[in-house]
Order: sequence, then structure tokens, then C-alpha cells
Amino acid sequence: MIYLLLAYEFFKTGLFSFGGGYATIPFLYNISQIYGWYTIDELTKMFAVASITPGPVGINTATYAGFKTAGILGALFATVSEIIPSLICVIIVSKLLKKFSDNFYVKAIIKTLKPISCGLLIFVAIGLIKPSVTDIKAMILLTVLLIMSYKSKLDPIFYFGFSALAGLVIACLKSFII
Amino acid sequence: MKQISLLKLYLIFLKIGAILLGGGYVILPIITNELSKKEKLIPEEDLIDYFALSQSLPGVIAANISMFCGYKLRGKSGAIAAMLGVISVPILCIICLASTLSVLTENIYIKSIFWGVGIAVIALITLTIREMWQKSERDLFFYIILTISLVLLFYFRFTPVQTILTVSVIGVLIQSINKRGKLK
Repeated sequence: MIYLLLAYEFFKTGLFSFGGGYATIPFLYNISQIYGWYTIDELTKMFAVASITPGPVGINTATYAGFKTAGILGALFATVSEIIPSLICVIIVSKLLKKFSDNFYVKAIIKTLKPISCGLLIFVAIGLIKPSVTDIKAMILLTVLLIMSYKSKLDPIFYFGFSALAGLVIACLKSFII
Repeated sequence: MKQISLLKLYLIFLKIGAILLGGGYVILPIITNELSKKEKLIPEEDLIDYFALSQSLPGVIAANISMFCGYKLRGKSGAIAAMLGVISVPILCIICLASTLSVLTENIYIKSIFWGVGIAVIALITLTIREMWQKSERDLFFYIILTISLVLLFYFRFTPVQTILTVSVIGVLIQSINKRGKLK
């Protein structure tokens, strides 16, 4: 029974959350209040962990909630249920794209979505700068990363490795000084 | 376009899922690197279309774009293979880490690594913006739509969904009017 409930709640989350993992927050918050599968405090910590463990944040939180509630099977149920609405949408849209690739409206929508997507990304980036870049060392690290990305074509994983290392070095230095 | 086995497809997305830190917004450079530059399976322009579409469909962006790519390469089973690939490592990670959540968020070294990765995510989003910028046809229409989107998001505090819906309608209207004007 709990599996069906998990499947139902995360199917709903997958169906109604647009714009990536952070859009699932209000749904997850709501689920926490109704069912108490996890606390709000856990949810906050979960988002911190989700942002450093591999994978989409939306998937990570679904897995976590499912696991906490009903073990490994629960984790699978919650995660897969969250993706099924998207799978259906993607298949339908892909078929339409194939069939009507020369249709005026299909082309018009894709042409419009690109600048919107750019706008959303700018919005997300600025939203992230405020809470993350709070001091001089964050500013320096960001500048270094941006310069590296402009000067050369590096494998994206390099940026993660480099910044994680930078974080670790700073933490070590701090603990040595204190 | 060369045919790719479902297993290979699964493994490529397994790798993408494993190195994807910080959520769907940073997947474009990673997926371009794996699918266009290394494997030459899907042209970069198509990936940008998929990314824009993935943002406007319900659900998780990273899963959406993976399924678009999978579908393009191997149809429905391809979409499922890519989706399973991209979520495999994340699911395992969370199951292993779930019980150590408080330890993870309180340890200063791990906190500091979180901090670094958080900054890298911003850098990668700027990289994504640059990729979209360079690979899109930037005519007057592009700038008009971008400006409207930014104004709605920042000034009128629209949510992403509201912005996508409103601006899509405006964009299609502008293009239909433009088309009629040209025909006359």
C-alpha cells in the first residue's frame, strides 16, 4: 500500500513540476507535511546533499524520500514514478517533432523556447550567486573557473574536481590555523 | 547516423549520470561533450533544441534531455535505456548515503567540498548559457524574447512555468504576424 502511495505522490510531483529539481521543492514540502515521510529539516539537508551527489536534484530527493519511507523498493518506486510522466511527454513530443518538423508552429515554438531557456538559465545563475558567492574566496574561485572556461575547452567534470579540491584545501588550511 | 546498441546507450548515460553534479541545469555541457564531441552521435544544435524543450516539459530536466537523446537514437527503448542509465548512479548514491545525512551536512571538510561544488555549478551554468548563445540564431526576435523573459522573471516575479507559457504564446504570435507580413 505504501508503495502505491509513494508512486502516486511522486507521479504527481513529476507531472506538475516544471523547470527542474528546484521546482519540486513545494511538492516535497507538501508531502512532508501530509505524510511525515521525512521532516522539513531532513528535506533541507537533503537538498544540500543532492547538490553534491551525482544526478538530478529532483531524482535524488525522490529516491531519498522513498528510501526513508519504504526501503530500497520504496526508493525505486518513488524515483521511477517521478520520471514516468516525463517519459510519456518526451515520447509524444519526439513523435510530434519527427512528424511535423516542417510545421510552422512547431518551428515557431522551438525558436521561442531557446531564448526563454537562456533567460531561465540567467535567472537561475543569478539566484545561485546570491547565496553561494558571499565572500572574497568564493568570488576568486568563481572568477578562476570562469577564466578557465573561456580560455579552454575542458571536460566539465574538471570544474567539479577542481572546485571540490579548492574547498577541501581551504577547509584544511582553516583547521590548521585554528 | 550510426546505430548504437542499447547497452552502449545505457553506459554512456550511466557515465553522464555519475558525473552530473548540481542538477539538470549543468547537463548541457556534459551531454555535448559525451554525445557530440566524443561519440559524434547527435549534433550540438539538436542537443540545444532538446535542452530548451526539456526545460519546458514537466519533470526533471536531466531525465528529460536524456530521454530525448535516447529516443532520437533508438526510439522508445532508447529513451528508457537512457533514462535508466542517467538515474542508476544517483539512486545508488542516495541509498548508500541516506543514513549518514546529518554526518555529511555537519562535517566541515564535506561542507567545504559542498561549497566548492556550489561555485562550480554557477560556472557550468554560465558555460551552458554560452553554448546556447553561440549555437542559437541571434536575430532581433531572439533578443526580444530574451528581454521579455528576463523582465517577467526578475521584475514581475513570474515562476518559470508562467514565463514559459506566457512567452511561448507571445513568441508564436510574433512569428505568425511576421510571417503574414512577409507573405503580403
